[in-house]
Amino acid sequence: MTTHGTDLPVAPVPPAARERLAKVADALIPAGAGLPSAAQAGVHAELLDQVARARPDLIPPLLEALEALGADLDLASVERLAADAPRLHEAITLVVAGAYLMSPRVTASLKYSIQKAKIVDPREITTIVAEGLLDQVIERGPRYRLPPDAPSEHGS
Amino acid sequence: MRDDCDVLIVGAGPSGAVAAQEFARAGMRVICLEQGDWPDYSRARAGHADFELVSRKHWNWNPNERRAAGDYRVDDTESDISALMYNGVGGSTVMYAAQWERFLPSDFRVRTLDGVGDDWPISYWDLEPYYDEVERQFAVSGLGGNPALPPMTPPPLPPVPLNKVGRRGAEALNKLGWHWWPGTNAIATADYGPLHACTQLTACPFGCPTGSKGSADRTHWQALSKGQVRLVVRATVDQVLLDDRGRASGVTYLDENGARHAIHAGVVVLCANALGTPRILLNSADGAGIANSSGMVGRRLMMHPFGNAIGIFDEDLESWRGPLGQYLHSLEFYETDRSRGFVRGAKWNLIPSGAPLSMMLTGTWGDESVWGSSFTRLLRERLGHSVIWGVICEDLPDPDNRVTLDGELGEQDVPGVRIRYRTSDNTRAMMAWHLDRVSEVLDAMGAKQKILNPIMQGIGWHLIGTTVMGENPDGTVVDPYGECHDVPNLFVFDSSVFPTSSGVNPAATIAANALRCARALVARRRDVAVAS
Repeated sequence: MTTHGTDLPVAPVPPAARERLAKVADALIPAGAGLPSAAQAGVHAELLDQVARARPDLIPPLLEALEALGADLDLASVERLAADAPRLHEAITLVVAGAYLMSPRVTASLKYSIQKAKIVDPREITTIVAEGLLDQVIERGPRYRLPPDAPSEHGS
Repeated sequence: MRDDCDVLIVGAGPSGAVAAQEFARAGMRVICLEQGDWPDYSRARAGHADFELVSRKHWNWNPNERRAAGDYRVDDTESDISALMYNGVGGSTVMYAAQWERFLPSDFRVRTLDGVGDDWPISYWDLEPYYDEVERQFAVSGLGGNPALPPMTPPPLPPVPLNKVGRRGAEALNKLGWHWWPGTNAIATADYGPLHACTQLTACPFGCPTGSKGSADRTHWQALSKGQVRLVVRATVDQVLLDDRGRASGVTYLDENGARHAIHAGVVVLCANALGTPRILLNSADGAGIANSSGMVGRRLMMHPFGNAIGIFDEDLESWRGPLGQYLHSLEFYETDRSRGFVRGAKWNLIPSGAPLSMMLTGTWGDESVWGSSFTRLLRERLGHSVIWGVICEDLPDPDNRVTLDGELGEQDVPGVRIRYRTSDNTRAMMAWHLDRVSEVLDAMGAKQKILNPIMQGIGWHLIGTTVMGENPDGTVVDPYGECHDVPNLFVFDSSVFPTSSGVNPAATIAANALRCARALVARRRDVAVAS
């Protein structure tokens, strides 16, 4: 399987771990502001598979974090993890947020086109100059200091 | 000159690239040893859904976290700032933001003008023709006529667009009556040599997938390595060899399998950055060190303390798009005004805030927790609606800020380095004052929320000063042309030689000074004393 982030093989994520992840993910990112919750977006399903392909190194600490959370799959437990096991907290929050922001449903709602390419228009500067946006900057004159040994043509 | 090659260069970053091209054009036999490998642009994923996840691993700025081929251990536990770098063909230009700034005339005369630091043994005007040349080599885009700099040849390409973010910043600075100018960047705004026009993916510091950024792997090494120069990757130089008369005779290096090799050369040029170059010098002579009769190798480390000011707006500014890169810069308060309570100054630059993950997971977007019901609200507020002003402060040389060898052997049994760096009272006062002014700019821009981050621990891109150049062998390591006072055919061409740091990005000056030094070496190559 092709990966882009590391050379590690992609580890499978068992269904039980996915179920636990769905609960934690919804605690971290509940629905709101016109956006779906993390589980509604599929963070524990197809999006998790995409994360695993991109960053297989994140899966072992994710599984470790899910186990460390024990029975309480709520926000307070995740916050405790930040203090007790920051490496695991970093992994689970990166997986959840990273997967969520890969969701086409989420990015469409945000009108974020995953950084769609748009070639620069080098003619824009002509407009800026023609509008006079730089006029007052130019009118103020030089802003730099000349050292005493500057060449005479520069005013020393 | 003779031996396996006329010139052996250590390090394939911008200074090594510029020098190698100059030597090759003069017909010299050149070998370059690079401890890392070619950048793997198949992992430059901008434009794909997994862009930010992959970037956080493969394009991580900190070598201690990235741990790719060529990365060595940097112990920064005694440093206020972490050292960032890219070890590979192209050096840190592979991951720089490509903000291209010439030093100002006053930067070369800090002692004369402000009574601090040291004057450079060269002036702005000594470097000026070399700035012109390297700006063509690195596909620099910008607009001539900037009143913050002396009159100069305009860059070869027009500037990147201002877009909504840059326009709003420019209008605010006009309202305040403060300087700004369209950004100068090593970013192609049209197809140029091997480069393609920028596609505005906010990917500059994460491996440019378009091939728009003027990184030395693309601007220099792709062509040079096809014939004129022998480039050896995954070759970690551990020592410069000296003959019995104290002249450099070559280097030893370890290949990727740990096998040790020696290469003999007429001249050795170190271009390994301000951590890597002192690392090699201090580790040579089996750890006794060379070229260090002054005791200054590794000292005077400067790292450009960096802060930023984030502004969040009601309006959609499409700030996930753009070059990164700078839309514009301001040098309004760059020159010294002692009434501010400090000497020297800082540069400001305006950039888009980019992709969403970075603004939801870093600790630089304020104290409010992003998790729970806050997440979706903050995501909507920030993505596309935010801008970032960067502030680069000049830090002055301090002999106690230094690079030493790590006591433990690192990758391939070559020691890593330990850095000790403390910010000064002058720097802290400078940063606080400048952030207050940038905060005023954000007000003038109409920001509904401002987040100010002074002196960010994780941003030490600009490594400077650890083999200082000067005329006096008692207090400096190399002469004004980069030749070691103690070892006549051993040179340093990277930013290690800078006597002071300026308050702007150093890549332009690194390249220009390397070209100046390389050309001087070519001119007197028949007079250089080589090893017996």
